[in-house]
Amino acid sequence: MIFGEDKHKKFLDRRPHAHRSFSQGFHFNRRQFFELMGTGISASYLVGKVEAEETGTVRAVTQNKAKNVIFILMTGAPSHTDTFDLKMVNGITPTKFAPAVLNGMNWPTGLLPKIGGQLKNVCVVRSLRAWALVHSLSQTWTQIGRNPAAALGDVSPNIGSVIAFEKQKERTVNQVFPSFLALNANACAGPGYFDATYAPFKVTPAAAGLTNTTNIDGQARLDSRLKFLHSIDDPLRINSPLGKDPQDYDAFYSAARGMMYNSAVAGAFSYSSADSVRYGGSGFGNACLVAKQVLAANQGTRYIQINYGNWDMHQDIYGTQNPAGNNLFTLAPAFDNGVGALLSDLDSNGMLKDTMVIMAGEFGRTVGPLSGAVGRDHYPQQFVAFAGAGIKGGRSLGSTNSDGSDVADYGWKYQRYIRPEDVEATIYSAMGIDWTKQLDTPFGRTFEYVPSASAGAYAPIDELWG
Amino acid sequence: MKSGICKRLFLLTAASAGLFVLRAQNADEENPEKNCALFDSMRDKAAKGGPNGSVFKKTSLSKLTEEVTSRIGQQAMPMFVPGGTRTNTELQLDKLGTIDRYIFQAIQEAGVVPADRTTDSEYIRRVTLDLTGRIPDPARVVAFLADTRENKRQLLADELLAKPEWVDKWTMYFGDLFKNVSRNTQIPRYPEGTQAFYNWIRTSLTANKPYNQIASELISAGGKNSYTQGELNFVVGGVITGGPVQDVWDGQTVLAVSTFLGLSHMNCLLCHNGRGHLDALSLWGKTTTRSQAWGMASFFSHTDTNRTPVDAAAGGTPYYWAIEDNTKYTQDYQLNTTTGNRPARTGNTRVTPVYLFSGRGPKPGENYRAAFARELTGDFQFARAAVNYMWEQFFVKGMVSPSDGFDPLRLDPDNPPSDGWTLQPTNARLLNALAQDFIDSKYDLKALMKEIVTSEAYMLSSRYNGTWNAQWENLFARKFVRRLWAEEIHDAVAQSSGVLPNYDLTRLGFSNLTVQFAMKLPEPVRTPDGGAVMNFLDSFLRGNRDDEDRRDDGSISQALDLMNDNFVMTRIRGTGNTSLLLVKNINLPNDQLATNLYLAVLSRYPSDSEKAAAVAQLQNAARVSAAEDLLWSLYNKVDFTFNY
Repeated sequence: MIFGEDKHKKFLDRRPHAHRSFSQGFHFNRRQFFELMGTGISASYLVGKVEAEETGTVRAVTQNKAKNVIFILMTGAPSHTDTFDLKMVNGITPTKFAPAVLNGMNWPTGLLPKIGGQLKNVCVVRSLRAWALVHSLSQTWTQIGRNPAAALGDVSPNIGSVIAFEKQKERTVNQVFPSFLALNANACAGPGYFDATYAPFKVTPAAAGLTNTTNIDGQARLDSRLKFLHSIDDPLRINSPLGKDPQDYDAFYSAARGMMYNSAVAGAFSYSSADSVRYGGSGFGNACLVAKQVLAANQGTRYIQINYGNWDMHQDIYGTQNPAGNNLFTLAPAFDNGVGALLSDLDSNGMLKDTMVIMAGEFGRTVGPLSGAVGRDHYPQQFVAFAGAGIKGGRSLGSTNSDGSDVADYGWKYQRYIRPEDVEATIYSAMGIDWTKQLDTPFGRTFEYVPSASAGAYAPIDELWG
Repeated sequence: MKSGICKRLFLLTAASAGLFVLRAQNADEENPEKNCALFDSMRDKAAKGGPNGSVFKKTSLSKLTEEVTSRIGQQAMPMFVPGGTRTNTELQLDKLGTIDRYIFQAIQEAGVVPADRTTDSEYIRRVTLDLTGRIPDPARVVAFLADTRENKRQLLADELLAKPEWVDKWTMYFGDLFKNVSRNTQIPRYPEGTQAFYNWIRTSLTANKPYNQIASELISAGGKNSYTQGELNFVVGGVITGGPVQDVWDGQTVLAVSTFLGLSHMNCLLCHNGRGHLDALSLWGKTTTRSQAWGMASFFSHTDTNRTPVDAAAGGTPYYWAIEDNTKYTQDYQLNTTTGNRPARTGNTRVTPVYLFSGRGPKPGENYRAAFARELTGDFQFARAAVNYMWEQFFVKGMVSPSDGFDPLRLDPDNPPSDGWTLQPTNARLLNALAQDFIDSKYDLKALMKEIVTSEAYMLSSRYNGTWNAQWENLFARKFVRRLWAEEIHDAVAQSSGVLPNYDLTRLGFSNLTVQFAMKLPEPVRTPDGGAVMNFLDSFLRGNRDDEDRRDDGSISQALDLMNDNFVMTRIRGTGNTSLLLVKNINLPNDQLATNLYLAVLSRYPSDSEKAAAVAQLQNAARVSAAEDLLWSLYNKVDFTFNY
């Protein structure tokens, strides 16, 4: 269905929920619940039930090229025309941006040199357009792929929670890491109405590894304590008059113990100072490093979100007034070092072929001359960059007009703006997940993975692969 | 298994001397539930969908309660005899209070045997946590158990309702309900506004301000400065950015109607008619139109919610809010928008304010929002929504659930819905009667809570003798367990250990605010201590009063934290700080030491076998270490984490 931007607008207007909230419908189907419970896989992760239930049948043909996803949310909204959609403005853009054409893209080699060196694996989508220009609203929108302010929007799960739910059945008994990991992203969107099993496991990376995965009194004493704990609980449990197996109840403790004194955990979540330096020696770089290590450990983590800001540069975006303040030249190096090393490492160890890396902010910034505060304000035109999972890199998809204020070429078959919902559909498709799938909810409404996608409202950017 | 349930029900019924007639006389072996009217009606409800039709929460609630009580173990308990016998006559039921009359009648009609009456030591922990968010002081537990007065549970309820900790807990609760947070996805209130609102709630609860007055004041508050007038901050929470002012009025309407009437479908109706959208969800919703919803929103259409920078010279932020009527906007809600967060409002006409459940508007000269508050608090649904919120807190599951998902056309048991719809509340007569009690008490929250916690239904054990059927959840035939709130866990560890933390919130922008208990925090602030305790509290899913609800799920992080976190580990020590529980008790004989630890942490005496295990543990060369291990185990026991 190719209907262009104007028709898409009308299409959405006819469907007030199409880009605003859940579709609606109802019925109960406990099939998937019991299917999952029946497999007996990784019982620890089944604690707390599988609350989402499937209603739809698989319709969409997915790309199914990605095993893992790393989503880097550039919080605060980076200026697209100063980064991934560079527009040199005479007398405005600093000369030290050192623009050069790399892989056919105009690139600020003075600002993002290391990512520039990895562009052969990167496809920059330049026809992405945000729906709203409020930071927290749009950040959540980006993470849940729908309007958080719409009806029931506040119970929609993070894309990562949907993936954790979908990939639950692929977990094996020996995998002890949470499926959805959030690094430096304590404010990231949660599991919505999904069970906490699919919640982001929030970690601020530290060289010493995961907090509370060792006990200050040592492993031997911890185990003797656990033994004693069981000694005062277990007889009562076995004598239960209820005949119910309460094993699930212990599962969180078992899973927690599984993550403690575990060489896989320690190896994946801790890091050497040499590696940290190679990733830029920043909090963001450490998150990129841990992300790579966690995926390499193959311990069940499938979706990693990393937040990095603050790109909200209303004032002094180039640091001409205060070079040490928050400006592109102080913020970009950590980003460039971290992403550059991440893409380079994933490429060289072979993991990039099945790991999709995504970089995007919640919207873009005003274009052309700077504001009175020598900054750039909120603006809907933006970019999203993809790498890995078999996408064809070294190019851009879509293009903007001369100042970057609007799209000149949508760059895909639908001939309309690409929206956060389309990015969401792309992630699901890459992971082999039917983006039109619908689940029953406890609220009686149907939760569609991408809102109204089954009616054609949104679709994956298949052009990334071809 | 299903067959067993039905047979058991049949046997139980038969055993009750023919007082009840099971509607299915012939059990169908192929489909044993087929003929069981009780199960049929429940299945219908589930199949019908709608806010209360979900099987999800029901299943997990039963399962959780089973798991916890099975961990706690079965104890010999006195037979519970509500009103005299297990099978009450009508006369006996009449002697019971509102709650027990309807609950035990429903239990009997279903032919279900309720759980036993809970023990005194379970009751004091349960009710102290539910009312004050704290575990009881060990000395109070001992005194309560020794107390022989017949009305000691009633006296305990009075005592707890008068405590300052009651204000702490319910300030947190109403802070959640009113979404008092310094920044939501739309707008900031800033710490100053949040603190002003927090203080307003505290003051209101301390005075036991009637709930209808609380609602009226919040809905109709006007004034210039949200930093100094806490009550302004409620309506501020309805502000929606990125659209015309009608979006703001709609947002404020949704906030008021969802919060105080439990009707979150108002949000849908302000975009479109219910028909074609809410048909499967709400009988009321599907027959209600966007025009009617606009009539509600029009009560806000003379209201200007604007902001003023605290220091204009320093730029646009921070700012405080003003809410003013009949200044900027003096005409009614106009249908003239094409952009924003909701579909176009066209026709260029104006909508006059009409409260859609009464058909009435403002009186001549009456402030629109004051009129709205008058209509809303005079609506029976206002009381019904309120008592359902409270029921949900004390019984873990609302009679209408989710508690903001009411369907007004499915609430009247004397006029039940047709076309396959069922009554929405699990006990519609009780919900109405309790709402009437609340109105009769002049909306007295403490009186309502006392009525609840002194009911025999609330005093049912969470343990169940026999095979529990999740289908019985709607009967409330046993008490359901709940995981403690993040703040309750934190405070229970702090209080029982004897070492309280000090959180200086001044650094976060709050004015002269230092707290020792998490329940006193003005909002689920991210970093009360600058880092580690934030993670501990967040593990227990306290929510953010915006897009993350408080929730009671378990998680790996919770187990990691209770096993290893510094907050706990520093408090199990047997050496060092002389305020520490273990340091104070370490020189006692083993059995006394064990008893004191159980009393302090779990608010109960150890059973004989638990005491023997503890004493054996303490008969160790490294006695201090052994005692630390014992104390660690108590903090990691199921009956520490749950209210049961």
